[in-house]
Amino acid sequence: MKNAIGREIPERIGSRDVRLYEGAFAVQNDGCKAARPQKFTPQQEDKLLPSIEAALEATDLTDGMTISFHHCFRNGDLVINQVLDACARKGLKDLRLFPTALFPIHAGVTNYIEAGMVTRIEGSMNGPVGAFVSQGGQLKEPAVLRSHGARWRAIEAGDVEIDVAFIAAPQADAYGNATGIRGKTPCGPISFSAVDAQYARHTVIMTNDLAPYPVYPMDIQQGWADYVVQVEEIGDPENIASGTLQLTKSPTRLLIAQLTTDAVVNSGYFVDGFSFQGGAGGISLAATKYLGDEMEKAGIVGSFGMGGGTKMLVDLLHRGLIRAILDGQAFDLDAIRSLREDAAHVMIDPGFYANYDSRGCATYKLDAAFLGATEVDLGFNVNVNTHSDGVLLHGIGGHQDVAAGAAMTMITIPTLRGRIPVIVDSVTTVTTPGEVIDVIVTERGIAVNPRREDLKGRFIAAGLPVRSLEDIKAEVDELVQPVARPVFGDEIIAAIEWRDGTVLDVVRKVEGFE
Amino acid sequence: MTARVTIGSDAKGDCRISIEAASELKVDIQAKAAQLVAGGIQVVAESALKRFGNPPVCVTVEDFGALDYVLHARLETALSQFTGSSAEPIGGNDLRTEAQADFPRRSRLYAPGNNPRLLAGIEVHGADCVLLDLEDSVPIPEKAAARSLVKHLLVSIPFPQEVWVRVNPLDAGGDEDIREVLQGRPHGVCLPKAESSRDIEQLSKRLDDVEAEFGMERGFTKVMAILETAKGILHAEQIAASDARLVMLAFGAEDFTRDLGALRSHASLLFARSQLVAAAKAAGIQASDTVYANLADAEGLLKECELARELGFDGKGAINPRQLVAIHRAFSPSEEEIAYARRVVAAAEEAAVAGSGAIALDGRMVDRPVLERAQRVIKYGRQLGLGGDAA
Repeated sequence: MKNAIGREIPERIGSRDVRLYEGAFAVQNDGCKAARPQKFTPQQEDKLLPSIEAALEATDLTDGMTISFHHCFRNGDLVINQVLDACARKGLKDLRLFPTALFPIHAGVTNYIEAGMVTRIEGSMNGPVGAFVSQGGQLKEPAVLRSHGARWRAIEAGDVEIDVAFIAAPQADAYGNATGIRGKTPCGPISFSAVDAQYARHTVIMTNDLAPYPVYPMDIQQGWADYVVQVEEIGDPENIASGTLQLTKSPTRLLIAQLTTDAVVNSGYFVDGFSFQGGAGGISLAATKYLGDEMEKAGIVGSFGMGGGTKMLVDLLHRGLIRAILDGQAFDLDAIRSLREDAAHVMIDPGFYANYDSRGCATYKLDAAFLGATEVDLGFNVNVNTHSDGVLLHGIGGHQDVAAGAAMTMITIPTLRGRIPVIVDSVTTVTTPGEVIDVIVTERGIAVNPRREDLKGRFIAAGLPVRSLEDIKAEVDELVQPVARPVFGDEIIAAIEWRDGTVLDVVRKVEGFE
Repeated sequence: MTARVTIGSDAKGDCRISIEAASELKVDIQAKAAQLVAGGIQVVAESALKRFGNPPVCVTVEDFGALDYVLHARLETALSQFTGSSAEPIGGNDLRTEAQADFPRRSRLYAPGNNPRLLAGIEVHGADCVLLDLEDSVPIPEKAAARSLVKHLLVSIPFPQEVWVRVNPLDAGGDEDIREVLQGRPHGVCLPKAESSRDIEQLSKRLDDVEAEFGMERGFTKVMAILETAKGILHAEQIAASDARLVMLAFGAEDFTRDLGALRSHASLLFARSQLVAAAKAAGIQASDTVYANLADAEGLLKECELARELGFDGKGAINPRQLVAIHRAFSPSEEEIAYARRVVAAAEEAAVAGSGAIALDGRMVDRPVLERAQRVIKYGRQLGLGGDAA
């Protein structure tokens, strides 16, 4: 079956029936949400357990169950590995792993896949686990990739039932209140897990900093928490920012950031109350900085900037250039400090951010957003999940949520990565459909989606270098011999869900190259 | 033949080529994402080998994201070192058209000639002139590799602006530089450490010879002289008037202060700058100021641009694309200047229609130099596409 963007999708993927993608806002889910378990607390209760092993016993974790985690320590996370090691010691099998995201530090998961302990994964796979799964034949069912908002929705809809949620908490009290912004090793908000904690059969808080009642702010509330386990280590906050938070010196990337800023300034959205979200990549960080300077020059005060919180964003708040930061995760230690100290730096959760089945998303209030891509195509479709070689290497993050929500979504990309062109005829995997992408900014010019003639007119009037994607692509293709394309087999490695629970695309196993 | 030759590096955007003798021709390719890029690299390697008559060698290509022209250049350098022979000249006369002597050159953006990472995309930043450097930024052992890289870059990239090459002094590699890079038909060459009219005449003679060898129009290649010694500054007048190819004098403050034993300040450079501008303008050519080396100091750059413009400079050197915005702002006529110039010209036209010899604007007489300057501003604005009157 072909979905609305022409991608070939089977009727069933693994054991699930597929709903086909129909359009960015075409589906209106009108059923009821799944029920949360009812719980009871005797007046005097001690939720403390002595060890992870004790938690596995207390939660009756058995073969075939689903365990969930957040990724707020990113590549510094030490909880997932500890829990999986304990599961292995207990001899568990056939577990479904449901993290928000896995990072290179979780490379050991591949051993547990080979051993049959982990047989299904639903969540982002950044790095080695994705590469391993891409070989095919490793998991019992294809992996499922969802955006931040879509994961929240899937839990609420009952698409994924969690047996035990393990929540790394930089500070928690013995009654289960937990926060990510205090403690010995703060990692930023852990509100990613708020929905897991409410819907899981059992919720286990794991902390390396057990503090007196009440711990606040309550990213995770006492009423959701069944057990609290104190452990030596939960994560290394120095690794939160690994590989991302570098201010670029590359003239090409700085030029893209400058063009992005120029485009925002001339978009018509750049007025008092302006709002935006940038990511943590080098181009985004530089664009955030330049944009702040332009706001200062023009005397414009923005309504909010949205995180991943970064030092750049916090600087804008401190300079009085934005009224608030809405922040669901921290990308550096400056952002974490600001979350503690600045009342206008507001912690949000992915439901507030981008839950499709709800009556409001923060992303819908964005005027402008700048996002990255591994590939874009002539239909403005964007791939962030796979590389041109077809290997699954990145999660969706908030890409779909922001692109669908922002009035103007800009993809900021260099035209080449080494010898590999970034603009292609058709992306290897569609992460975000072209209908929600407005502008593609490259060092060789700015391409505007034909759906946005209004923006195109404004950019041209401002003297910006507007060109067609075809034109830019032709120029770049002159610089390198054509690259080989992967040949895909039938086996499906992963499904890419759209925000509403439909299937946008699938990642197939690579059989060879031509 | 040498036993083994290795050219290039493992820097981003570069490649490393090793060549050894073998019983038959063999190409070994190592690259990240090799299954995607190896085929393309093979095609480039075969075409480079063919230019050397497919010698019996084993070529190893380690790719670190090199574009085709980088691969071509590295292969050419390695093969020519290994075989001791050189390939037929490349390029063609349709690469680019002759530069206009009076084209506005607000900025000349330097790029080190043997650094593929910094050369990549150098044409996209909007500089008025790109200046590919074979001199100071290239260590002596890399001169041949840089020459080849700049040549292949010139042949491959359709620059949207003027593209120049700073060659080495003629007796220190400049002769070879010119024969290589003219194959890529740059708009001009830039001679460092020019000290006398003889330097320019010698360069021009060499250009005559190489243009003739490649069947280029005589005089196609323009010349920019960099004055960066005490002698050069004192001889500015004779240098500026030395040759029809010369379109610009540029100032090099770093070498000049060293030569003088002076500290770099506005005061210590004022004589040299003023002398250079006067010499250039007396000869009817352009003057460009020295580069501003402190990348982090945007304020300082802006200030130096304004001072240079006050002195009569037409432009300034840039060592990083991030400096172009400030430079272009300082050396472009402002909207007000263009508007005023238009009014002056309109008043002159009215006077001509009325048959009046005297031109009046806002109750004041406009004399000849003011009108000429106004005409220059309008032409300049049009060449730059400013003032809503794009060329």
